[in-house]
Amino acid sequence: MSRVLDIFRFRRKNTPLHALDPRAKFALLVALSAASLALSDAVSLSALLVVEAALLAIARSLREWARSLTGLSTLLILIFVLNFLTLPTGRLFTAAAMTLRFLCLTTAFSIFFLTTTADELAAALEASGVPREYSMMFTMSLRFVPSLARDLQTVADALKSRGLELEKGNLKERLRNYTYLLVPLIVYELRRSIMVAEALEARGFGATRKVEPYVELTLRARDYAVIAASALATCAVAWAIASGIYGALVDHVRVFFPKL
Amino acid sequence: MALVELKRVSFRYAGSDRHALDNVTLSAEQGEFVLLVGPSGCGKSTLLRVLNGLIPHFYEGDFEGEARVAGLDVRSTPTHVLARHVGMVFQDPENQLFLSSVEREIAFGLENMGLPRAEVKRRVREVLKEFNLESIKDRAPYELSGGQQQKVAIASVMALEPEILAIDEPTANLDPLSALEILSLVKRLVDEKGVLAIVVEHRLELTLMFATRMVVMHNGRILADGAPREALLRSGSLVGYPPVTLAHLLLKRKGLIDNGVPLTSEELASMVIRKWAK
Amino acid sequence: MIIVEDVYFSYEGLPVLKGVTLTVRTGEVLAIMGENGAGKTTLIKHFIGLLKPERGRVLVFGVDTREASVAQLARHVGVVFQNPDHQLFAESVEEEVLFTLKNMGYLPDEARAVCERVLRLFELDRYRDKSPYSLSVGERKRLAIAAVVSYDPDVLVLDEPTAGQDFFNKSKISKLIFRLKRQGKGVVVVTHDVEFAAQVADRVALMVDGRIVREGPAEDVLTDPAALRQARLIMPQIPTVAALLEAGGLKLPRKPLLPGALYLELLDLLNHRWRNHEQGSRHL
Repeated sequence: MSRVLDIFRFRRKNTPLHALDPRAKFALLVALSAASLALSDAVSLSALLVVEAALLAIARSLREWARSLTGLSTLLILIFVLNFLTLPTGRLFTAAAMTLRFLCLTTAFSIFFLTTTADELAAALEASGVPREYSMMFTMSLRFVPSLARDLQTVADALKSRGLELEKGNLKERLRNYTYLLVPLIVYELRRSIMVAEALEARGFGATRKVEPYVELTLRARDYAVIAASALATCAVAWAIASGIYGALVDHVRVFFPKL
Repeated sequence: MALVELKRVSFRYAGSDRHALDNVTLSAEQGEFVLLVGPSGCGKSTLLRVLNGLIPHFYEGDFEGEARVAGLDVRSTPTHVLARHVGMVFQDPENQLFLSSVEREIAFGLENMGLPRAEVKRRVREVLKEFNLESIKDRAPYELSGGQQQKVAIASVMALEPEILAIDEPTANLDPLSALEILSLVKRLVDEKGVLAIVVEHRLELTLMFATRMVVMHNGRILADGAPREALLRSGSLVGYPPVTLAHLLLKRKGLIDNGVPLTSEELASMVIRKWAK
Repeated sequence: MIIVEDVYFSYEGLPVLKGVTLTVRTGEVLAIMGENGAGKTTLIKHFIGLLKPERGRVLVFGVDTREASVAQLARHVGVVFQNPDHQLFAESVEEEVLFTLKNMGYLPDEARAVCERVLRLFELDRYRDKSPYSLSVGERKRLAIAAVVSYDPDVLVLDEPTAGQDFFNKSKISKLIFRLKRQGKGVVVVTHDVEFAAQVADRVALMVDGRIVREGPAEDVLTDPAALRQARLIMPQIPTVAALLEAGGLKLPRKPLLPGALYLELLDLLNHRWRNHEQGSRHL
């Protein structure tokens, strides 16, 4: 399970992508996600995936991404099989397209999270006008995710050592067993949130409304370039679909693969 | 007026039928290292939280009596103002470090105070140097050991230059060597900067030697307040004696050793040698 | 007993256990000590198969942990983790104990009788209908221990039982450990509280960086300054006094770990001296 979450975990590296302003990276994310959702054929989605892989290569994060693909594989196969079995025509093509779409979407997010610290993200939010409380709320949720994962493991270990077989039994029994995890976990995290709140108060949080953030975000030429390119790409895709050119291209390709 | 001045303070948490603090009177000055001890539930953590206003602002309840910290009335001063005078460090290192690097963590309190960025950066540099954290300034707090985390927590609150350092069981989750490092650090701040340190602790065999004063609480009341040795003699059966103090009591009962209250191995050893070495 | 044979284990690619060999016997209290991060908790998770070794094996009363489920192994080895809040699952104190007994195969009538006895033993019977989370920290810890002790495992493993506990609770925990030992159970205490280890442990194993660097009787290991330093531990106060006395010319015949033992040693020394003095003066 933790393998899958790996693609969203930041790794400190010195690459052009890591060095971009988080707002530029966010623009990139929007463009890639929009493209993933708008495009619907396997060919252009594959091209998109190649573009994303190239970005991952620039960010020197291909290995992390590849490693977590193994964790995602069950989900990918599930999507493919479900689509394949439930579609009346063009099954292989569309099933492949849907699977690729999911992959492109998760990879787009992974590119963002692998190269952006939670701090940078909060700073970007604040620079865009989001109040400090909300950006802190966001940062902290991210910061405590590994802690939550660890607590979940500890509670599961404790349950198992009390003789409860979490993996045995039919679906109903297993679901009921898993609910035993909830109470201690929720109580623990609630207690933790009180501790964190106390500590925030003790550090003077909320003393002033206007806070000058420590992390200085400046948009440089390359950030503007990335933002412009992302905007352009998104517009291009939108136009291609709206004007019908995209639809025509898809039909054109379908001619070569009628049986699918 | 004293730095901390509590006069007949009583507090009952909302929804509770017993008083967590019962008529507590306490005053403390700068340059003291006050050890606050007592069995679980005696009110020591509650007392600590009065110092920076978490009680009564964060925790609802019935508050009676007078509480002044650095001249400010706790009841009418919000916590974020008191935070400039009282740096509070909590027991669980993980839950008081919020950001993704040590440097950011130290800057956090200063940012909250609304200081300009240049000033914040300057103070952060100073603090990193003073607490020897420069080598780990880019590490995420959760990548650090428990001892390092506590050190970062202390540095982060000291960045605001408070006169008072209030610490809740700093060594609970630390191994003995890290615990001694942290306690020595606090002692250094007391001695060199005149900080008033109020430390809640259970592990007397580690902490007593650093204290200039010990306050013992039980059932919300102060049982003993004075020099560590005297306070220990009066309350040892409640809070437990460090092994050397216990050994001394056994020897004294048989008249085999002089009066005194050893707190460290060195003290007991020299008392025995003095008495017995021919 | 639990036999750990040359166990290696890695977590996320980083080696945590690097060839650990250890035996846990019943009727004996073993303290596993070392700084945070040395691998102590990882090691005890192997005792009930929560983790399986990459190399080497762990035998629990003859059963290889890779061939049994955690629940099966837990019948012999009860583990109480450090934070009680991670281990309280029921709506009432009574339910908490009954929950464990039920999982361990006790019939309802038996379970109720055992539960009653255990709650009284741990002085928790007056809270029987209250929610576990309404108890104080010390009481929650007692409840977690009570729930695990209730089904009578042959070995009890306690992870940092004294962390953050006050004097009363520490005494209660050490009394419990002595009682279990008298009953012939094995007790493993993972701790960095050297004074507590001096009080309860028969044997001590020091862990450094995934390996056991010293293992032996408590009075040998807890008085070994080099080994303790390596494990980032400090020598308990009484052995430190004994070492200082020896440096000052007063050598004690045996190595005391506790105040009572030091007192007896000094008494012995005094009697011995007095006798020598008597004999000496007789010769004059």
